[in-house]
Amino acid sequence: MYTIGILQLTQNLDDAVHGFKSELTERGIHAEFHYLNADGNIEQLSKLANQLAEKKVDLIFACSTPAATAAVKLTQNIPVVFTPVFDPIGANLVHSMAEPGGKATGVAGMVKAEDKLVFINRLLPTAKKVGILYHVEDTNAIVEVENFRKLINSKMHFVEIPIRKSEELSNLPDILPTDIDALFLPIGKIIEENFATIIYYTDTVEIPVIASHAPNISDGALGGLVANHAQLGRECAAKAVEILKGAQPKHIPVDTVKIPDILLNQFTAENLGITLPEDLREEAVEVFE
Amino acid sequence: MLLTRDSVELLAPVGTWDVLEAAIEAGANAVYLGGKRFNMRMFKTTANFDDAMLAKAIEYAHSHNVALHVTVNNLISDRELDNMRSYLTLLDELKPDALIVQDLSILQLAREMNLSIPLHASIMMNTHNEHAVRTLQSYGISRVVVNREMSLSQLSLLKERTGIEVEYFIHGDMCISHSGQCIQSGVVFGQSSNRGRCLKPCRWPYQLVDATTGLPVGDRDPGPYKLAMKDMCLYTKLPELIQAGVTSFKIEGRMRTADFVSGIVKTYRKAIDSYIADPMGYTPDLQGWENLQNTRSRDFSTCYALGNPGATVIGYSGEREPRFFSQAVREANMTVIAKKSVPESTINKHFAPTLNVRVADLPSLIAACQNGANTIYVGGEVAKPAIPWTLKAMAQAVEEANKYDAKVVITTPRITMERECGELEQFFNTLSKVKPHGIMVGNLGALALARQNSTLPVQAEYSFNVFNHVTTQLLKNNEVKKATISLEATYEQIMKLVENSLLPLELIVHGSLPAMITDHSIPEAILNKQYQTNYDPVLDTKQYALLDTAGQQHLIMMDQYGRSNLLFAKDLCLLPHLHSLTPVQNYRIEGQYYTPELVGLITKIYRQELNKISAQQSTYHFDTSQLEKITAASPRELGIGTFRHRLSK
Repeated sequence: MYTIGILQLTQNLDDAVHGFKSELTERGIHAEFHYLNADGNIEQLSKLANQLAEKKVDLIFACSTPAATAAVKLTQNIPVVFTPVFDPIGANLVHSMAEPGGKATGVAGMVKAEDKLVFINRLLPTAKKVGILYHVEDTNAIVEVENFRKLINSKMHFVEIPIRKSEELSNLPDILPTDIDALFLPIGKIIEENFATIIYYTDTVEIPVIASHAPNISDGALGGLVANHAQLGRECAAKAVEILKGAQPKHIPVDTVKIPDILLNQFTAENLGITLPEDLREEAVEVFE
Repeated sequence: MLLTRDSVELLAPVGTWDVLEAAIEAGANAVYLGGKRFNMRMFKTTANFDDAMLAKAIEYAHSHNVALHVTVNNLISDRELDNMRSYLTLLDELKPDALIVQDLSILQLAREMNLSIPLHASIMMNTHNEHAVRTLQSYGISRVVVNREMSLSQLSLLKERTGIEVEYFIHGDMCISHSGQCIQSGVVFGQSSNRGRCLKPCRWPYQLVDATTGLPVGDRDPGPYKLAMKDMCLYTKLPELIQAGVTSFKIEGRMRTADFVSGIVKTYRKAIDSYIADPMGYTPDLQGWENLQNTRSRDFSTCYALGNPGATVIGYSGEREPRFFSQAVREANMTVIAKKSVPESTINKHFAPTLNVRVADLPSLIAACQNGANTIYVGGEVAKPAIPWTLKAMAQAVEEANKYDAKVVITTPRITMERECGELEQFFNTLSKVKPHGIMVGNLGALALARQNSTLPVQAEYSFNVFNHVTTQLLKNNEVKKATISLEATYEQIMKLVENSLLPLELIVHGSLPAMITDHSIPEAILNKQYQTNYDPVLDTKQYALLDTAGQQHLIMMDQYGRSNLLFAKDLCLLPHLHSLTPVQNYRIEGQYYTPELVGLITKIYRQELNKISAQQSTYHFDTSQLEKITAASPRELGIGTFRHRLSK
């Protein structure tokens, strides 16, 4: 019987927890779980991590970068398995993806920019110029924008639309280039939570939006290629089993999202007069009506 | 009455199975949760219970001797009625302990379907007076979640006079607007706060400005979040709450985690038990208070429980806002293309339109009459510095209107708490001297008072949120002669409603409209913190507005009851769409914030267009110069409101 701590930032990531637990059960691991959730309050995380340490857990499953950071900072030598951390190296959780080198490993939740590019191209084959709207202080967004900059592609031209304050979205029409064929939203909290304001404006000018946050797609983006949190949780469980059986996290490579979910919105497509490609529809995990 | 452990029900919010277990384990006497359909938390697909889980949850709660209430508290549109009927049938089989409902149509459906489950009036029904309670009781409502603006002493009186069970929010998130009366999210975004999709415009940053100069007001700005209510917490006032006779202590937070809900339930459970065991020896447990403080999102306030809290209820800095849902947007103007997903209605062959105008004063009434109005609305809320309609002015209004063969209908305030109800009762009894042609009421209580105290025909104001035809059936059964269509309905929803309605309906097609109504006096809370005891006449004469980050001004109309009526930035104008709205037949201009000249002009132009449509039928073509005339004379920019959206979600 093992004791496993789960450190959660927000219940929005609970699908990962469910995947993690069910995979452990399937792999025959019986464990007592201590689930602590900061309910969005980042400052609470170090306190909650300490509470898990006091319970002498064998391992901590940490969801989100701040939770993983809090768990890794513990002085006790408790292995940490994390997800959906976007930039494990940048967040100082691991030295490298292949050889983490410390007490943490996991599965990064960033869908590869290459994959997103292919997806956008399949969804909107004629799109030539695509805006990228992001908040300049969001570390995840910065990583993703940087990845897009490094992409070698001849099909699409990306135009960056940086904002410094969320209120700038109120005047989005003033900063949105008039000649873009689509707007791409990288991962990033401020853009994701104020999505209603973005879609309000893009609807009027009939610009399709490609999102990275699953709820934004049911709320009106045309589509998105997103990590499946339950799947990330299951992959983390596989790593957790290795650790519980004696392997050291420093030698267990960090994986990235292998098969992201395709999400599409048919209602939005109709409003924009766009036909969703049949092959994408078939591959989609969900097509919102 | 002597207290027992059953005197008080501690009612916990539940969004998922683990919260259900945790809340019951922590000592909740009852829980409330939503199914996957028709409830006020529709954003998260992972929350709420599907039909099978609902059955399991009820069984689980009952096996632990805990009551389970299901929230069916959305407004519903005509196209959703069949789904609602089948959902109610299912719920009737599952037998939860109560349904918490908002839409008046559910009362009608429950009666028609002979539902056996007790009904509770949701906070969204905005129940705030004894007369409304009695009507609700006649429909089998056994409990009312009274509105947040009621103080403990007011709700004690309500309970005493009606015998209704009272449920009160004691902990958690609050709205600044009267519940069910905030349409900002619904109209602007097409995502209705009355349908579980609120995008929280009350959490936008705003500047308080002098509406005349457009300049920020003074150096007393306490922070940008002028409407951001703090969280309710009545932990330190439990004795007052229990002695006030509140039956059910409701904790807000159906999206919260098991730990969070469990912590709050345990804290309140312990305090309630310790008070009931030894009321005289009770002191609040400081540890409990600290637990609540440490896990809080926003700062706490006792809100309206002990009286109007003024500025202390607002978290102006916004520092503790857990998250935002949107940023201010520019409201749709006249150039935005209206979305009419259903085929546009052809012109009604029997088109006999009425044009009805709400005015603030006699000169406006005369202007409206001279330019072709059929009915004039006078009365109700009046924005300072204008003065309320006196009986004498109303009598003059009737006399003037008679000269033009126009009718006068007396409107009444949308919110009628104890004070306003007392005034209404007296007013209705003296109306026979005024000889108006009808009365318009804003809520179920005012409707009951009008019927008891007057023989005049009664019509229902937009505050009834008429969103489907079954609601018109209920109103008809209650002797209402005409109803106003919800301001949140889109073109498609309006057409469907009109097609099936059992009552003549009226559509507001033009005017300045309130997005929110709140008992919080926005300017005074900032400029005269002591306003409840210290009168500052300047505040009664100056016009203030909130400036949002999209650069738009929302006028704050302070009415004679001290409520802030916060207007949309743009005035509604559906003039270009009149020809596709002919099945509606009755059109209203809300002109009480316009000059008499403008009332005259707008009335004239709408009358001309209606006449043209009538005469030219299918050859009618809208002449944009008519719109230009109104635009040039209007004090604010014009917009198309919900016509921007295909459907109001």
